Amino acid sequence: MPLFPIIRPEGRAIHIGEDSMKSVSRRSFIKSGAAAAAATVAAPLLVRNWAFPAPAAEAGTFESGFGVTDALCRKVLAEAMSRGGDFADLFFEHTISNFLILEDGKVNRAASDIALGVGIRTVKGDQVGYGFTQELSEKSMLAAAATAATIADSSGGSAAVAFVPLKTKNYYPVRTLFSAVPLEAKLPLVQKVNERCFALSDLVRKVRIVFHDQQKRILVLTSDGLKAEDLQPRSYLAATVVAEKNGKFERAGWNYGGRREFSYYTPEVVDKLSRTAVERTLILFDAVQPPAGAMPVVLGPGVSGILLHEAIGHGMEADFNRKKTSTYSTMIGQKVAEPFVNIFDDGTVPHLLGSINFDDEGTPGQKTALVENGILTSYMHDRISSKFYGVKPTGNGRRESYQHYVVPRMRNTYMTAGPASPEDVIKAAGRGIYVQDVSNGQVKIGEGDFAFYVSQGRMIEDGRLGAPIKDVNIMGNGPKMLANITMLAGDFEFNEGGAGACGKAGQAAPCGFGQPSCLVKSLTVGGTRG
Amino acid sequence: MKKEYYNLGEQALKMAKSAGADGCRARVGGERFVEISYRNRKPENIKEATTKALRVEIYVNNRFSSQSTSDLRPDALKSFIENAVASTKLLDEDPFRTLPDPKYYQGRQTVDLEQYDPAYESLTPAVRHAFVKAIEEGCFARGGDKLVSATVQGYDSHEEELQMTSNGFDGYQEATVFYGTAQATVKDEGDRRPMEFDAAMALCRQDLPSPETIGVGAAERALALLGGIKIKTETLPVIIENRVVARFGGGFLQAMFGSNIQQKQSFLADKKGQSVASRFLTLIDNPFIPKGVGSRLFDLDGLTARKRTMIEAGVLRDFYVDWYYSRKLGWEPTTGSPTNLILPPGARSVKDIMKDLGRGILITGFIGGNSNSTTGDTSIGIIGQLFEKGAPVHPVSEMNIADNHLKIWQRLVEVGNDPYPYSSQRFPSLVFADVVVSGL
Repeated sequence: MPLFPIIRPEGRAIHIGEDSMKSVSRRSFIKSGAAAAAATVAAPLLVRNWAFPAPAAEAGTFESGFGVTDALCRKVLAEAMSRGGDFADLFFEHTISNFLILEDGKVNRAASDIALGVGIRTVKGDQVGYGFTQELSEKSMLAAAATAATIADSSGGSAAVAFVPLKTKNYYPVRTLFSAVPLEAKLPLVQKVNERCFALSDLVRKVRIVFHDQQKRILVLTSDGLKAEDLQPRSYLAATVVAEKNGKFERAGWNYGGRREFSYYTPEVVDKLSRTAVERTLILFDAVQPPAGAMPVVLGPGVSGILLHEAIGHGMEADFNRKKTSTYSTMIGQKVAEPFVNIFDDGTVPHLLGSINFDDEGTPGQKTALVENGILTSYMHDRISSKFYGVKPTGNGRRESYQHYVVPRMRNTYMTAGPASPEDVIKAAGRGIYVQDVSNGQVKIGEGDFAFYVSQGRMIEDGRLGAPIKDVNIMGNGPKMLANITMLAGDFEFNEGGAGACGKAGQAAPCGFGQPSCLVKSLTVGGTRG
Repeated sequence: MKKEYYNLGEQALKMAKSAGADGCRARVGGERFVEISYRNRKPENIKEATTKALRVEIYVNNRFSSQSTSDLRPDALKSFIENAVASTKLLDEDPFRTLPDPKYYQGRQTVDLEQYDPAYESLTPAVRHAFVKAIEEGCFARGGDKLVSATVQGYDSHEEELQMTSNGFDGYQEATVFYGTAQATVKDEGDRRPMEFDAAMALCRQDLPSPETIGVGAAERALALLGGIKIKTETLPVIIENRVVARFGGGFLQAMFGSNIQQKQSFLADKKGQSVASRFLTLIDNPFIPKGVGSRLFDLDGLTARKRTMIEAGVLRDFYVDWYYSRKLGWEPTTGSPTNLILPPGARSVKDIMKDLGRGILITGFIGGNSNSTTGDTSIGIIGQLFEKGAPVHPVSEMNIADNHLKIWQRLVEVGNDPYPYSSQRFPSLVFADVVVSGL
């Protein structure tokens, strides 16, 4: 389950790893073209004047823009249920994604993608039939529904006669759609970060800036009569800096974003981003070889929350437990950590990357306790697993797009603050390492073994921060790591990034995370210095 | 379908021109696929669909953008392309942003790459289900009582792709893809449940192994992880198993891309003609292998495919330079991405090599990790077996290797005789000396 998966230049490579079910086709060659551009840290653009048929707050986009009426949806759902099944749902999507890229001082590349389609799912017990179509015609939708229906083999089930609109809170209100922001307004934003980065140090040699914005309009209709429509914004501003000192090159970067609209990107954000990216690059010239072996690790606040995502998050997704493939599948109700440890997965944090007003099967956004006072409390459920366990869905049924069926996924996963000061946490570590920035991670669900890659950190010597370190992988085991959390500080932070994505079952999903400074008694640090 | 693709491509080029583009590349891509997975001897997921999408790359006065859509309704398409051209005009001028010089389209081979298997047409639901069931039975049979869970999947598709440019390029290719995989989870001591997978992919259905062997392979690999422990940090020889070499080698490969070189993010930028690895590393990029997963006659720029020696007995000979970065660097373009990568196999099997190595680790999987293309530093978690004198001692878990690509490839001491057949990167197992393996 790599977080921030490394995107390969072209498709068709088998993804070797935990996520072996990933499709190997060139199916999304067009998309991967855009993704590859983004991966090389390039890719935003917004088509000017490309407006939705309806304003952001107004429901009914799919009906007014694409002729998707309730009557048509009832007919399609009836076809999806024509061979029986517990329920069926339709997931309509219209997503506009834009990338604007600055390289060598010029905004010389833009990319955009428009995704339109509907996914149709029939569920029988834990079995799923799925078809999708990019053509929203009655004929195409009925054919996709017939494909979905093949999972069931009895007589016809029933579909709702009327739909009841779902009312939810809005955790990411949008005042101005990205499609209403002219390209001319975005260009200076990207240029300013570039200028600022070069102005901050004469060691800077290359700067690459990406501005990405996306507006994803979704409509979920179920055979039990639910109708839910949402507009999910997503954006980020990212800077990658290459600097040169005494013939040696170093690279680092940073990004800010989330479910944010354009007004978020103020001069303060531009300044903060430029400073962070440049400072994080320059410090690497002083980095020493990282150590190797088991030692105390202090995770700094914010982005280190990836640790939770890998060490406990994936293992608590209910599908892995329903299938008994997770190391956590027998631990509900048991003590897994010290009483001061509380871990949540939460879709309701305003503007955070993993927030959702409702999930991709219509369950309202909510906050779920995974660990409460050290006790393992709840898995993260979709409708299938909640039925299996006889509990309410937790709103974790998510999917990458209409081309994918729902699986339980994290939203924003975080650990709450403790009473210590950050200095005390570092002092208590004695000799070890301090983690400042993490670029990616992965977990083996069954063993609970996980890894995360520290792109930047510091040595801890005699209870104080020492020389910088970089590029070191850290290994641990989820349940052991939880039991080994011995101190938490009061400096809780959410990671305010917008560029990350979690990969599971061949699907990418935006996730958020956060945590305070945290001392883990022992993890394996994969350095070169024994 | 081919005709439909050409109609759409031609229409897009025409629309782009009338909207004011002075150059355009249109790509039309799509596929028909079926995906079936089983668990507990019944279908878990059945998924099937047809996709089609258009991508246009617009050039206006040395300004460039690349835009794609799956909304192919005629009205939507027209405004999509008009908007694409209008927004491209607002970007910064970059003299290097042009379609390739058509001379690089010349000389295309006429060889049949045999990427379409007519057997695809005779696939029925019954055949597909039988294939997946057989994978599952293999997994059950080998996993026995220890098996906690098996999830198996079969996938097949017919893919098509057309590329046309306003300066005369025209290329169409189609392929069939057949894929089978199994994931096995077995019960270990305590709460550990080791999971492993096996998979095979081929463009010709006959080239797949029997489905049972995929299931057996997954179960065997999971069982081999039972009792995994962490050992003390130690400097040891390691063997990286064929099927995971690509993941480790990717950190080296990314430094060979023109984009990274031009952006000062490549530790290989100034190393052409120099030794970057031991004499055991030769790397050939061969686009013409019949039925090859990475075979092609032209690349994403339309540049004619050629066989290239990238690394010769440890000496770096070539880079992956696409049209745009070739112009920025002032170099000749090669191609923007690898095709089939061939590393000529050695003489001995992994088993025989292990006998001579004394104490070492056979790495069968990686976890997490990353690689810095600017400096070559890399650090990655490993899964595998500790062995002594050819005999496995026990599996290792929660361990890691770290090195620098410019150093570790110089310590490549032997190449196995087992090129991995189910990928475009046909790497054999590789043996490295003196690697820091961190644990306790």
